[in-house]
Amino acid sequence: MSDNRLEIRNLHARIAGGETILKGVDLIVPSGEVHALMGPNGSGKSTLAKLMAGDPSYEVLDGDILIDGESVLELEPDERARAGLYLAFQYPVEVPGVSIANFLRLALNARREEGDEVGVMEFYAKLQRAVKALDWDESIIERNLHEGFSGGEKKRSEVLQLLVLEPRYAILDESDSGLDVDALKVVANGVNAARGPNFGALVITHYQRLLNYIVPDMVHVMSSGRVIESGPKELAMDLDAKGYDWIREKHGITASGDAVAHA
Amino acid sequence: MATLTDGAVLTAEALEALIARLGEPDWLAAERRAAWRTYQATPFPTGRDERWRYTQLNRFAIDGLELVDAPRDTGVSDRIAMRITDSDAEGTLVLKGGELVREDRRLKQAGVIFTDLRTALRDHEDLVRKHLYSVVNAGDGLRKYAALNAALWTNGTFVYVPKDVEVELPLGAFHTADRGGLAGGRTLIVVERNAKVTYLDEFTCEPLGERLVNTGVTEIVLGDGAKLRYVSLQNWSRDVVQLNTIRAHLARDARLESLTVSLGGDAARAEVEVSLQGPGSESEMLGLYFADEGQHYNQYTVQHHASHHAHSDLLFKGALRDASSAVYSGVIVVDPGAQKTDAYQTNRNLLLDGESEAVSIPQLEIKANDVKCSHGSTTGPVPEDQRFYLMSRGLRPEVAEHVLVTGFLYEVMSRVTLPKVAQYVERVVQAKLGVPGVKEKL
Ligand SMILES: Nc1ncnc2c1ncn2[C@@H]1O[C@H](COP(=O)(O)OP(=O)(O)OP(=O)(O)O)[C@@H](O)[C@H]1O
Ligand SMILES: [Mg+2]
Repeated sequence: MSDNRLEIRNLHARIAGGETILKGVDLIVPSGEVHALMGPNGSGKSTLAKLMAGDPSYEVLDGDILIDGESVLELEPDERARAGLYLAFQYPVEVPGVSIANFLRLALNARREEGDEVGVMEFYAKLQRAVKALDWDESIIERNLHEGFSGGEKKRSEVLQLLVLEPRYAILDESDSGLDVDALKVVANGVNAARGPNFGALVITHYQRLLNYIVPDMVHVMSSGRVIESGPKELAMDLDAKGYDWIREKHGITASGDAVAHA
Repeated sequence: MATLTDGAVLTAEALEALIARLGEPDWLAAERRAAWRTYQATPFPTGRDERWRYTQLNRFAIDGLELVDAPRDTGVSDRIAMRITDSDAEGTLVLKGGELVREDRRLKQAGVIFTDLRTALRDHEDLVRKHLYSVVNAGDGLRKYAALNAALWTNGTFVYVPKDVEVELPLGAFHTADRGGLAGGRTLIVVERNAKVTYLDEFTCEPLGERLVNTGVTEIVLGDGAKLRYVSLQNWSRDVVQLNTIRAHLARDARLESLTVSLGGDAARAEVEVSLQGPGSESEMLGLYFADEGQHYNQYTVQHHASHHAHSDLLFKGALRDASSAVYSGVIVVDPGAQKTDAYQTNRNLLLDGESEAVSIPQLEIKANDVKCSHGSTTGPVPEDQRFYLMSRGLRPEVAEHVLVTGFLYEVMSRVTLPKVAQYVERVVQAKLGVPGVKEKL
């Protein structure tokens, strides 16, 4: 079997010095595939996503995170990014004073050798393609990173960055939340544009709706800090129709397990 | 805390020798002697002095320093020469150790005077006499270092813009040095009714290998409806300690946009005091500093609303790292009768490590009842979520830090309306941050 995959092995993790959130997550996303991750509020999806990206506010207690067979646990967030990982944040932050264009130039150059910086023409061509793919106005790239952006614009910016940075693996944390159908299609098109044999993605969502446009190869369900069920794309439809209780019951989990710390 | 002295190097004899050497008119000699008496009668500041609280006073010591009476040589460094070539200024002067060592002028408008103070005293004595010491003088509680400057300054610049004249491009002076000691420079800017000008004071030198304490005083007189953009850019080498006082009087409807930048030196104190004396006058006061490697920056500001319907808006922001420190202390004073005052004061500090410290002391003294005033300050570390976000895109930690510092200072930078100044400040900040390839271009 090929090593080209994103893999989570028995991951236990907590908020640094605090409560344990992940209690043994196992998950594999092979390169070339798109998997969906669903689950109730507070089940640990974003925590998992941020842990994969190396968020220092969480602590790994046990288990491993691997990119193409190599553990990335000891890598800093920037090293993981340069190893090919990309996280589209559920709540992207605002960074004043840096334009999207300048920021992406820095991000691209970080992936290249010193002295081999991306050329101006090449860079803008890339940026323009991405802006077009997202059906966006070009002036957006001169705006400061998320300053004054609407929720939907932030999500779109996360996908724009994905298209420019061309990661090997992407985690999209609710990139569809708060979008109307038109915007949703645009974002889905963006992700689909990135699809290919050398790209794998984990798409976190609450809504089957998105999965009509980004058809997943598999669906995983997370609850109380673990992946409790995996199945084909039809699983998402079941969840959409029936909710999570039947699946929780099947695994003997109470709903309170997810919502506790959330309340 | 150590008590400060001047170590008996500065004496009445030294002052008399200076007066004799400069050969100035009697009225000026009398002013110098009066200032000298004030200097002697005024104790050095202590930590108990409200205006100097938390200041590392010993870093501003002057004891044992000889007066700088001339530069070692009159050459202009390549760096300054390049900055002049690169500037869009209509006039620049270079003052070094009290000597005027270079002047480039393309002044087109009649009546505009832009020259060094010694020349101005010769060619325009009446004008200088009318305004020199009119804003910072021995009579109104002249402070220790400002009194010292008033007695011992050797040269400086004089800018005079007659009424209704608008000078399009900036004027500026480079204040530089090639030796240690105690130096004093003075700037006098007079903008008459409805006239307009932009003027920059820039302080810079190559490493000296000995300690220089530079005192500077800038007096600004704005007539009715006059407009001035004033920039004070301190980028001395690390041998230098700067004590600078900038004080302005604004008449009716006058507007002052000031920017005070501290990037160089070992320690620097900037006092920026604006007196809004005419109704409808406006003062924007921006400040920017970035302290590293133990630098100590100290700023004291006054927004004095002496008249009604005046507006002042102050924003000082600074970043600190490597066991550096900064003190910001500022007061909004609203006189009785200064109704409809609109005054804001904000100081923000970004701490890049745990060893650096910033103290912020905003104050209000309001004696009128129909006013809008607000002040605020924040001091804190780099937001970790922002740092993580940037790094999650592949930015190395040091690059992420550059972005965060630039982003923090952006609130001030975006309000600087002089592109060349903004560009230069940005480059110096980047060089201090260690952004590759920037230092070479300075
Ligand atoms: N930094 C934190 N501080 C405190 N609690 C946290 C923190 N991060 C996560 N939690 C808690 O951990 C649990 C899992 O949160 P997480 O954000 O991973 O859930 P989620 O599955 O992404 O939920 P949602 O669908 O609402 O986005 C929640 O109870 C949340 O409140
Ligand atoms: Mg979430």
